Amino acid sequence: MTQGRTRLYHLLLWVIALIFFSPILWIALASFKTKDQILATPPLFVFPPTLANYTDFFSRQNVGEYFVNSFLISIVAVLIAILVSFLASYCFSRFQPRGTSFMMFILLSIRMVPAAATVVPIFLMYSAFSWKDSWPALVLFYAMFSIPFSVWILKGFIDGVSRRYDETALVNGGSRLHVMFKVVLPQVRPGLIAAFIFNLIFVWNEFLVNFIIGGKTTTMIPTALMIGVANNLGTDWTFVATLTTLYILPPIIAIFFFQKYLLVGMTFGTVRGEV
Amino acid sequence: MRKFLFVLMVLAIALTPTLALAQGGDHPLRGQTIDMAILGIGGWIPSSVAVTLAQEEFAPYALENYGYTVNWSFQEAPFSNLFQKAATSLATGSQEFNIIISDSQWLGAFAEPGWIVNISDLIADGYPQYGEIEWYDPVVQSAYMYYPDGTQTIWGLPETGDVVVLYVNKELLLDPDERAAFEAEYGWTLPATYEDWFDIDFDQFEQIAAFFTRPEEGLYGTAMQYSKEYDFMTMFLYPFIFSLGGDIWNPETGDVYGILNSDVNAQAMEINKRWLNYQPPGALNYGIPDVVDVFTQNIAFSGFQWAAMGAGMIPAGTEDKYMVVVPPGARMEDGSVRRIWSIGGQPWVINANNDEAHMRVVHDFLNWWYLPETQIRFNELGGNPATAGALNSEGYDDIQVWNRAYKDMLTEETARDFWHEPTYSEMLAIQQEGWTAFASGQVTDAMNTLNWIACEQQEILYNDGRTETPPPAECADITLE
Amino acid sequence: MQHIGSRSQRKSVTQKLSWWAQLGHALDRRERTLPSLLLVPVLLFFIIWNIIPTLWMVGLSFYNYSMISGRPARFIGITNFADILVDNSVWLSFSKTLIWVFSTVAIETALGLLLGLLFWGSAKLPGRRLALTMIFAPMMITPVAASIFFRLMYDPTFGVISWVISLLTGQAAPNLLGDRLTAFGAALAVDVWIWTPFMILITLAALGSVPRAELEAAQIDKLSWIKKFRYVILPNGKFILMLGILLRTIDSFKTMDLIFSLTRGGPGNTTELIAIVLYRKAFEAFNLGWASALAVILLLTAIAFTSIYLFILNRKQAEEA
Repeated sequence: MTQGRTRLYHLLLWVIALIFFSPILWIALASFKTKDQILATPPLFVFPPTLANYTDFFSRQNVGEYFVNSFLISIVAVLIAILVSFLASYCFSRFQPRGTSFMMFILLSIRMVPAAATVVPIFLMYSAFSWKDSWPALVLFYAMFSIPFSVWILKGFIDGVSRRYDETALVNGGSRLHVMFKVVLPQVRPGLIAAFIFNLIFVWNEFLVNFIIGGKTTTMIPTALMIGVANNLGTDWTFVATLTTLYILPPIIAIFFFQKYLLVGMTFGTVRGEV
Repeated sequence: MRKFLFVLMVLAIALTPTLALAQGGDHPLRGQTIDMAILGIGGWIPSSVAVTLAQEEFAPYALENYGYTVNWSFQEAPFSNLFQKAATSLATGSQEFNIIISDSQWLGAFAEPGWIVNISDLIADGYPQYGEIEWYDPVVQSAYMYYPDGTQTIWGLPETGDVVVLYVNKELLLDPDERAAFEAEYGWTLPATYEDWFDIDFDQFEQIAAFFTRPEEGLYGTAMQYSKEYDFMTMFLYPFIFSLGGDIWNPETGDVYGILNSDVNAQAMEINKRWLNYQPPGALNYGIPDVVDVFTQNIAFSGFQWAAMGAGMIPAGTEDKYMVVVPPGARMEDGSVRRIWSIGGQPWVINANNDEAHMRVVHDFLNWWYLPETQIRFNELGGNPATAGALNSEGYDDIQVWNRAYKDMLTEETARDFWHEPTYSEMLAIQQEGWTAFASGQVTDAMNTLNWIACEQQEILYNDGRTETPPPAECADITLE
Repeated sequence: MQHIGSRSQRKSVTQKLSWWAQLGHALDRRERTLPSLLLVPVLLFFIIWNIIPTLWMVGLSFYNYSMISGRPARFIGITNFADILVDNSVWLSFSKTLIWVFSTVAIETALGLLLGLLFWGSAKLPGRRLALTMIFAPMMITPVAASIFFRLMYDPTFGVISWVISLLTGQAAPNLLGDRLTAFGAALAVDVWIWTPFMILITLAALGSVPRAELEAAQIDKLSWIKKFRYVILPNGKFILMLGILLRTIDSFKTMDLIFSLTRGGPGNTTELIAIVLYRKAFEAFNLGWASALAVILLLTAIAFTSIYLFILNRKQAEEA
C-alpha cells in the first residue's frame, strides 16, 4: 500500500471506532450538561460544561453503597466461578470422566434459558429458604451464572497445555494440586482473564435477578439506575448520564489494559501468543 | 360549616399534644430505637415528601411524645416495577418494608394473599380512629380504601389523592395577538380565567390545541400519555370513554364483554388517537416524565398530567407563567359539559407481617399523618391530601397552583377509578397492548380492538372465578391483528 | 521452564511441608477419587442452582398457581401447556423472537466479519489499542442505561439521532420507536450497536488463529481475497466463529432488559419478544404456574437448539478430521 492509501485506511478505521463510540460519548457529554442543555432542540454539541452533576451525584445518599455492592458482588462472584470452573475444566480436560461432553453441553444449554425463566424457580427457592436480599445467596447465584462460559473457555485453554508438563511435574514429586495451580494455571492466564472480564461484564450489567431476588442491602447499579430514572421533576437525565458515565468507566479501563488477553481468550485456547 | 370545621381543627391541634402526652407516659416503646422502612414510588413527589416528613417531622414528634427513636428508610421503584418489588418481598413473609405506598389498583392483589392488614378489622378491634377520619368525597373511599369493588371492606388509607388536571401556558393563552388570531379563525374567544375552562368541551379543546400546533415553530397544542408502560395510555384514554358515557365493566357481575366493546368506546378511541395530531411527534412513547419535559421546555402549549406532578410541571419560580385548570369533557344535550377523568393517587397499606413494635410505630405514624397540620404540611411540600379537613380549610386553594383544579376534580362526578382485582396487571397488559396497537396504527379497527380486549379480559375474570359468564363463542375468531 | 526449577527447590524442603503441599499430597493419596473431587464444587452449584429450581419449576408447571390470588396451588395436569400451545399471542411472540434472533445474529455476524477483516491488518494503526477499546465499549454498557438513553436519542423532539436523520433526509424527524413499522428495526439497531463489537472481537480472534505459514503461502500463491477467506481463513477460524455465533444466538434469544425498558414490547405488540411475555406472566401477573410451563417450554427449546447446533458443529469437525 502506498502511504496515502495507508493514511486513508487508518482514517477509515478511526471513523469506524468513533461511530461505535459516539453514543457513549454523547452520554458522557450529557453528564456535563444541565437538564435544559440535554433537552435543547436542536441538540447541543458545543456548550459550557458544568461539574454540578458530579458534585450533586456524590452528595447523594446510597450511590456509594450501590457502587460498592456492584464491585464486590460481581468481582467475588466471578472469582468463585473461575475457581470452580478451573477445577472442573482441569478434570474434564485431563481425566475426561464419563459424561464430559454431556456436562459441557448441559452447561451451555443453561446459559440459553431466558433470564426470566431462570428467575422464576430461583425466586421460588429463595423465597422458601429466606435467601432473598442476602449477600452470599446473590453472589453464589451470579457465580453459577458465570460458570458455563468460564468452563467453556478454560477447558479449551487447558486442552492446549501439553500433558507433558503435568507428567514432568508429577514425576518430579509435585502434587496434583501443585500441577494445577503452579504449572497449568500460569499457562492459561489469557483464558482466565478473558473469562473473568466477560463474566464480569454480564454480572456487572445484570438487572432482572438483582431486582427480583436482591433487596435493600444488595442493590446494584443497574437496579439503582432503573429506580432512579425519574426524580420529582420528571426524568432525571443528569443523574442517568452521570451514573452511566461513571459506571461504564471501570469496564472500559479494564478492556484498555487487558485487550491482548481478551483477544487471545476468545480463541478458546486454540492459539497461544499474540493475536 | 367551614368555620365550624376550622374551630374543630384548632381544637384538635390544641388537644393533640396533651392527649399524646397522656398516652406517651406509658408508651411500650419508650427508650427504644426502631428502624422503619417505607416502600414507595420513585420520582413521585407525594411518595418522597411523605418520607421526608416521616424522617424530619414525625421522628422528633415521636421522640418528644412517645419517647422512642425512629429511623426511616425509603426504598423506591418506578410505577411499573413497584408491585414486583413489593410482592416479591411480601411473599417471603419479610418485614423488609413496614408500610407500602401502593397504587390503588393493587389493593386486591395485596389483600387476597393476606399480605396486608385488613383495616376494617383494625377499626373493629381497638383502632376506631381510622373509621372516623372524614374524607373529602366518597370517591376517595372507593378508590383508595375498598376492596372488593362494591363492598366497604377497608384495606388501605389514602396517602395522597390524585387526579388528572390540565396545565396551560398562561403567557401564550393570554397573549392579545394570539387571542385575536384565534377568534378570527374559530369565531369564539379563548378561555381566560379558571372558571372559563369549566365550559370547554372536547371539540373546543381540539380547536385550541390545533390553533397552537405549529411544528415549524417547534410548538404543539398539547401532550398526554400513550406509552405502553404500565397504565400510562389507559389513564388518558379512559377520560374519553367515561366522559362520552362509556363504561369498562360491571363490578357486580365481573363482566367485561358487552360493556367495554361498545360503539361509544370505539368513538372515544378515535378521538384519543386524533389528538395525536396536536402533540409532539414522539407522543406515542410518552409516559409521565416525558410530558413534563415537553411542557417545561415550552414545546407543548398545554399538558394533561397528574396533580401529583404539579411541582415538576411548574418549577418553583414559574408559577405566574402557567395555570392549572379542569380538563375538558363531553358536551351533553342540555349544554352542560360532563368531564370524568381518571383518578390516580395511592393508599398506605400495612405489611401484615410487622411485629408488634413495628405495628405500634405504624399506628403512631398514621395517627400523626392524619393530623390536620400534617396534612397541610404535606400539601405545602407538593403532596395532595384527601381529608375533608385539609381540603376545606381556609386558604387551601392558595397553597399550590393546582389545588383548585385538584379539588374540583376529586369528586364522584368527575373522577373514576377502575378494577382493584388481583388480576389487575394481566387485564391491564391486555388493553395496553390493544390500545397502543391502535394508537400507533398497528391495527386500524377500533371496534375489533375492543372486542379482542373484552374477550381476553372476560376470560381472565372467568378463569379467576370472578364472573360466571365465559367469553362468548365468537371470541374464538377474534384476534388483534 | 521456571516452574520445574522451583520444583527441585521444593523437594529439598520436604521436611517442612506447607499446608498447601500437605493438602496436595493428601489428595494425591486418593488419586482415584481426585477427578470426582475436582467436580464436587461445580456439581454442588449445578444441583443447588439448577437441578433443584428446575425440578421445582417443572413441578409447578402442572399446577394452577397464582401468587396473588390467595388460593393454594391446584394440580391441573398439562392444562398450562395446552393453554400455551393454543395461545395466539405466544406463537406470535415466538415468531417475533425467531425473527429477532435471526436478524440480530445475521447482521452482527456480517458486520463483525467485515469490520474484523478490516481491522485485521491494522497493527500499525496509531492508537490501535484505544481505537479497539472504543469499538468494544458498547458491549460494556448496561442494557438499562442503553435503553434509557436511546429512548432520548430516538425522540423526534429532543433526540440527536432523529435530528441527524431529519438533517440528512430533509424530512420531518421520524418517530422511530413509536412507529409500528420502525420500532422493531430501531430496537434491533441498538442490539446491533451493542453486540457487533463482540463479533468483531470473535473475528479478530478467529483470524489470529490462522497459522502464519498458511497465510504466507496464500500470499505467495496470490490468492484473491475471497479465495483466501474461503480456503485459508474459514477452515482455521471456523470453530471460533461458530462458537461466537452460538453464544450470540443464545444471548439474543434471551433479550429482555433492553427491549423492556426501550419499548415495553410496544407499540401494540410489535416488539413483544417471548422473554417479555414470560416476564409479564411471572412478575407482573404472578401467574407462576403458567409462567413455569412457558419456562419449561423455553428450556426444552433451548436444549434442542443447542444440541442441534453442537451436532452440526461436531459432525463438520469429524468430517474434516
